[in-house]
Amino acid sequence: MSKSILLRGAALIFAALSPVVLCAQFQQPSEEELKMTSDPKAPGADAVYFEINEVADDPMHYQSTYARIKVLTEKGKERATVELPYLKGTYKVADIKGRTIHPDGTIIPLTVKPEDLMVAKTGERQIEKKVFSLPSVEVGSVLEYSYHIRYDDDEYSSPEWEIQRKYFVHKAHYQFTPFKSFAPEGTPDTATSRYLVDEYGRTVNSLIWWNRLPPGVKMQTSVNGSYSVDVTDIPAIPDEEYMPPIESVLYRLFFYYKAASDPGKFWPAEGKLWSKDVDKFAEPSKKIHDAVGGLTAPTDSDLDKAKKLYDAVEALDNTDYSRKKSESEMKELKIKEAKHAEDTWAQKSGSSEDIAMLYLAMLRAAGLTAYAVKVVDRDRGLFDPQYLRLHQLDSTLVILSTGGKQILLDPGEKMCPFQTASWRHSDAGGLGQGADGVSFSITPMLQYKDNVTQRLGDVYLDAHGEVTGHINIVMTGQRALHWRQRALEEDDAELKKQFDREELERIVPTGVEAHVDHFLSMNDPYTNLMAVVNLKGTLGTATPKRLILPGFFFETSSHVPFVNEEKRLEPVDMHYGERVSDDVTYHLPDGTTTEGVPQDANIGWPAHALLVTKSVTRPGQIEIGQTLSVAFTFAKPDEYQDLRGFYQKVAAADQEQLVLTLAPSAQAGPVGVAH
Amino acid sequence: MQARISMSRILAVAGCCSAALLGSHFAAAKEKSQPAPQWALDAAKTPTPANVGDASAVILLDDYLITVDEQNHAVERERYAVRILKPQGREYSHCEAEYDNDEKLDYFHSWTIAADGHQLQAMDTDFADVEAYGYADLQATERFRILKPPGSDPGAVVTCETEVHLRPYMSSEDWQIQAPIPFVDEALELALPSGGHYADSWSHYAPIKPLETADNHLRWEITNVPALDLENLHATPPWEALAARMTVTWGDQAAKGADNQWRAIGLWMDQLEAHRPDPTPEINAEAQQLVAGAPDLYTKLSRITSYIQNNIRYFIIVKGIGGWQAHYAGDIYRNRYGDCKDKTTLLISMLQAIGVRAYYLHVNSERGVIDPSAPSLIGNHMITAIELPDGEKDPRLVARVKAANGKTLLIFDPTDEETPVGLIRGELQGAYSNLADGADSQVLKMPVLPPDSASLNRKGSFTLTADGTLSGDITDVFSGVDAARERGLLKEADTKELRDTLEHSLSSDLPSLDFKGYEFHKTDALDQPVTLDLHVSDSRYAHAAGPLLLLRPRIVGDDAEPVPEVMENKTRTYPIEIGRPGNHPGDWRDSFDITLPPGYVVDETPDPVDVDTDFASYHSSTTAKGNVLHYERDYLVRQVEIPAEKAADFRKLESAILFDEKGAAVLKKQ
Repeated sequence: MSKSILLRGAALIFAALSPVVLCAQFQQPSEEELKMTSDPKAPGADAVYFEINEVADDPMHYQSTYARIKVLTEKGKERATVELPYLKGTYKVADIKGRTIHPDGTIIPLTVKPEDLMVAKTGERQIEKKVFSLPSVEVGSVLEYSYHIRYDDDEYSSPEWEIQRKYFVHKAHYQFTPFKSFAPEGTPDTATSRYLVDEYGRTVNSLIWWNRLPPGVKMQTSVNGSYSVDVTDIPAIPDEEYMPPIESVLYRLFFYYKAASDPGKFWPAEGKLWSKDVDKFAEPSKKIHDAVGGLTAPTDSDLDKAKKLYDAVEALDNTDYSRKKSESEMKELKIKEAKHAEDTWAQKSGSSEDIAMLYLAMLRAAGLTAYAVKVVDRDRGLFDPQYLRLHQLDSTLVILSTGGKQILLDPGEKMCPFQTASWRHSDAGGLGQGADGVSFSITPMLQYKDNVTQRLGDVYLDAHGEVTGHINIVMTGQRALHWRQRALEEDDAELKKQFDREELERIVPTGVEAHVDHFLSMNDPYTNLMAVVNLKGTLGTATPKRLILPGFFFETSSHVPFVNEEKRLEPVDMHYGERVSDDVTYHLPDGTTTEGVPQDANIGWPAHALLVTKSVTRPGQIEIGQTLSVAFTFAKPDEYQDLRGFYQKVAAADQEQLVLTLAPSAQAGPVGVAH
Repeated sequence: MQARISMSRILAVAGCCSAALLGSHFAAAKEKSQPAPQWALDAAKTPTPANVGDASAVILLDDYLITVDEQNHAVERERYAVRILKPQGREYSHCEAEYDNDEKLDYFHSWTIAADGHQLQAMDTDFADVEAYGYADLQATERFRILKPPGSDPGAVVTCETEVHLRPYMSSEDWQIQAPIPFVDEALELALPSGGHYADSWSHYAPIKPLETADNHLRWEITNVPALDLENLHATPPWEALAARMTVTWGDQAAKGADNQWRAIGLWMDQLEAHRPDPTPEINAEAQQLVAGAPDLYTKLSRITSYIQNNIRYFIIVKGIGGWQAHYAGDIYRNRYGDCKDKTTLLISMLQAIGVRAYYLHVNSERGVIDPSAPSLIGNHMITAIELPDGEKDPRLVARVKAANGKTLLIFDPTDEETPVGLIRGELQGAYSNLADGADSQVLKMPVLPPDSASLNRKGSFTLTADGTLSGDITDVFSGVDAARERGLLKEADTKELRDTLEHSLSSDLPSLDFKGYEFHKTDALDQPVTLDLHVSDSRYAHAAGPLLLLRPRIVGDDAEPVPEVMENKTRTYPIEIGRPGNHPGDWRDSFDITLPPGYVVDETPDPVDVDTDFASYHSSTTAKGNVLHYERDYLVRQVEIPAEKAADFRKLESAILFDEKGAAVLKKQ
């Protein structure tokens, strides 16, 4: 059956059905709902959804939404304003109805015509939105609204259900009726003809869904050819510190049309196509061979060749860190979008993706065995093989196979040293090429020992607590990479300000001003990055007889994570493990004696984290060291209490004090006020 | 023909549309490239002045031509050229043009002239149109066309030319003479119709005379204006309150002299809102019902203002002149929503219904932006001036001011849902406003309230054990403007956010905090205090050092507002804003009692602190009596800002507060 026949059929069905049967009807709230002032299922919530009903009917090119919301606080009134964005020309938002019901049962209908506003427009594409605000809303009101979205006959659409919302949902019903050819098995009169193709020209023959549903909830199918999900008591979107990417924890269900139906068939087929595209782009052409010949020597070891080529592509203009040329600019400059690795090499410029593929081509041209691996950026999401979409993978890396080892390389990550990867690409899942074809792949986790920050300081004190001094902050691994990448976007003066604000203000004690004087090795990713910092200000507290100082100079006033969060629902994601090692020498005023120093300590969370502190007293000096090693990246909720216990001990240790007794000559008179 | 698979989730499209569209290129450039015009080439030749410092970009040219026709309708052409000096300077090359249904954008062209002289013309795909505001409660038909210029690399000069038909009902423009980066050449040219007249006013810039370049063509030219960069300064007035600008007015509003210009603006506003506040029968009835039985004017005002604050939700879709003109009171009352003009309109209406006169008062949400010597429409907020009868002395009606015509006016912001009638929040105190009162329209300075208009009385009772654990309860009683702030916090934050906020604040003083709970006590009456009870414990509050136990008697609370550059004794040019978060006068007191562990005596206490200045005072003391250590302090602020010349006094005050807040008591085991 051709598309036109199918659409005619759809139009007839649409004409035969009354819209009344397609949308939920407004309903009278119960007395209990009207009088409700808080919700025991959602303590403290500003609003709750009593009901959500989303129905999508693709043959009829139609979606409807119905919502009933209880406003519990002033902030909850924000739910009264509803924005419905849509793509102009393709979609139409229609039949908007709404009303507000006061706690006394008074009903105020929506009578103001919704406004149609432009959200954004570029070229031919324009996003508009319908906006309406329900009238006379007060705390305690029940808000109720519904609307329809219709779309063009030559459009196919499949819903994506965001089952978890900003506010608690008591009850929700989601329903999707696809074209009959995509209906659940067993649906009578299933048509088989359609003409949908994907980007590779394959006939799209399957409706696929991916879901993360609450425990015990399953999608239902019906004999009339629809899919549905009914849920109750859905908690609000979680908000905890150090959560995994939010995309990876929410309850959702996505439908989409594809050319394969199950993971067993999808990924091999999709992986094969992806790999073919990679190999085509990364073909070691003559120009690539020539370039490689000029960059390497035949006598170089495999690793030397790989490093020389890596440094060469790292030196190119990576437009993800500089500026992507616009279409008009490329036209004017007669530059074409890179279709092959040699284009990127010729332009000496490309995206992270282009540069990674160029590197792959060069390795291959050098006669090395190298493969592409494509993963999910862990800052954005986690790979889910059940989610049958290649687009979830967004970062390309390279695996070099040499000497029996598989070495992960991240050439698209500017300033990333050879054989290192950004944390966003570590322990990240996706697809990888290999000798046996394409398979699921996961990149190695970073070692905490490779991400080290050392803070070494000399602090000179007088009897009033006035300090001067300097610290050197030496960074390797991810922190160095972070600041080197920032340096690509800002000049030196601006970078210093940002380092002052984002790093130093957080770690130096209150009363002490710390400013970067200069950086060392900012542009050399193979050397430790150092920030040389000057200190000035007042430290600790001076009493008439004593000087009381923070035992540990760094981070005594900063927020220690997890200490105040008793319960944990979601896993902990630290992004990467690291070691932070401090060593500060206090140079004391003459005649000072020590009454108390921080206790040496060794606090551990076995196999996960360790804090070691140590003090050494010498004439006129006290040297205090502290090393915090966080050797874990993830922790499950059931490990949380151990994790929290460790950080509570860390927080307590941070508060150790150094007590000095001043020389009698320095004890005269009150201090501080007259400064 | 094959069908398209549409984007599967419509809402997801719009959630990220603005950012996504700016970077997307799905429409081919249509125009044929044109060479850069001579003015752009000339501008690009302007050398970068030696004194630009570490500016990230420099504006080489900003030239306006405003052409006014016989109907006083104006067309504005702008030519702009900026040289990018650093990567972060690219943001200044993103030219934009504002337009609306009644503000037509005629054209928008741009050329980039690279450091090597190569030219690139921006094409369709380099522009994006985006909504102007896009807040849930503030929507508008107004839009911006934004350029992401090609070739915008350091060294390049980006030039832009736009032409816009200004709104037909507007007859003035504010010319921003200063920017966060330096200007080299800038000009404003006004082409008036025959017999047309104009007025100009200047803020933070010495007035200059225009050149008459032709009949009725006036041109003001300025060169080498330094950047106004406040990025690394703290506690300054807002940027807009310090930046140089000129306002030019044409047509009937172009009166000579500041007073006459303010009067003309007030008359224009009056005319715009004429009859908008007329009460409907429903409004009359509601107002009468609200004030029934009220014993005095304060009670009447309180009931009506509370009604507006509690029942009229902030929501507006601004369409064209709707940015200036309110809805009719009857519509606002029926829908129970509106913006600041609408809330003022309904308030004026309800007050009119009970025989009290009130006026529109145009203000800016940031103090100092409205300059009494530079009449303009630069305000961005509408509030209400309520006329008090002669002899009305109710001490609760604090925020009153005497107008030039002798009327006593009570200032009130109906959009501020937390501040009771009689008070105004810090941002408005001491700021200028424009009163719309017919021929008596004028610029009006709003009052700085006395210190007792805001207060916090904090009391804490704690027990310390020998292992260093401190446990106890704190009671905070907030009054006046401070109570309004707390109410705002309660309204804005959900339960988790509220607890997190309190916990975060407490844990900065109690690092090993065990936050046992809190209770807010408040009534619906906005003029009543808000009480907050906190229950805390800190297992490592006091620290043992040999036989000593060290603790800070100032358990919680933070009165210090150190301004880093002032504390470092750097020269101060701008006034210093003072008065805690909220920037207002007040009186804040702490009193803590700490019961000591058995066997310990006080060996040392911090010295008392006493500082008095004309703008603030601070007194604290720590005393020991029996087994109780007592700490108390009183911080009183009388102003909202102090001149730069008083930086030394400010430094002395802040040093003393900082010293006191860190002060430690030493306990010794007997």
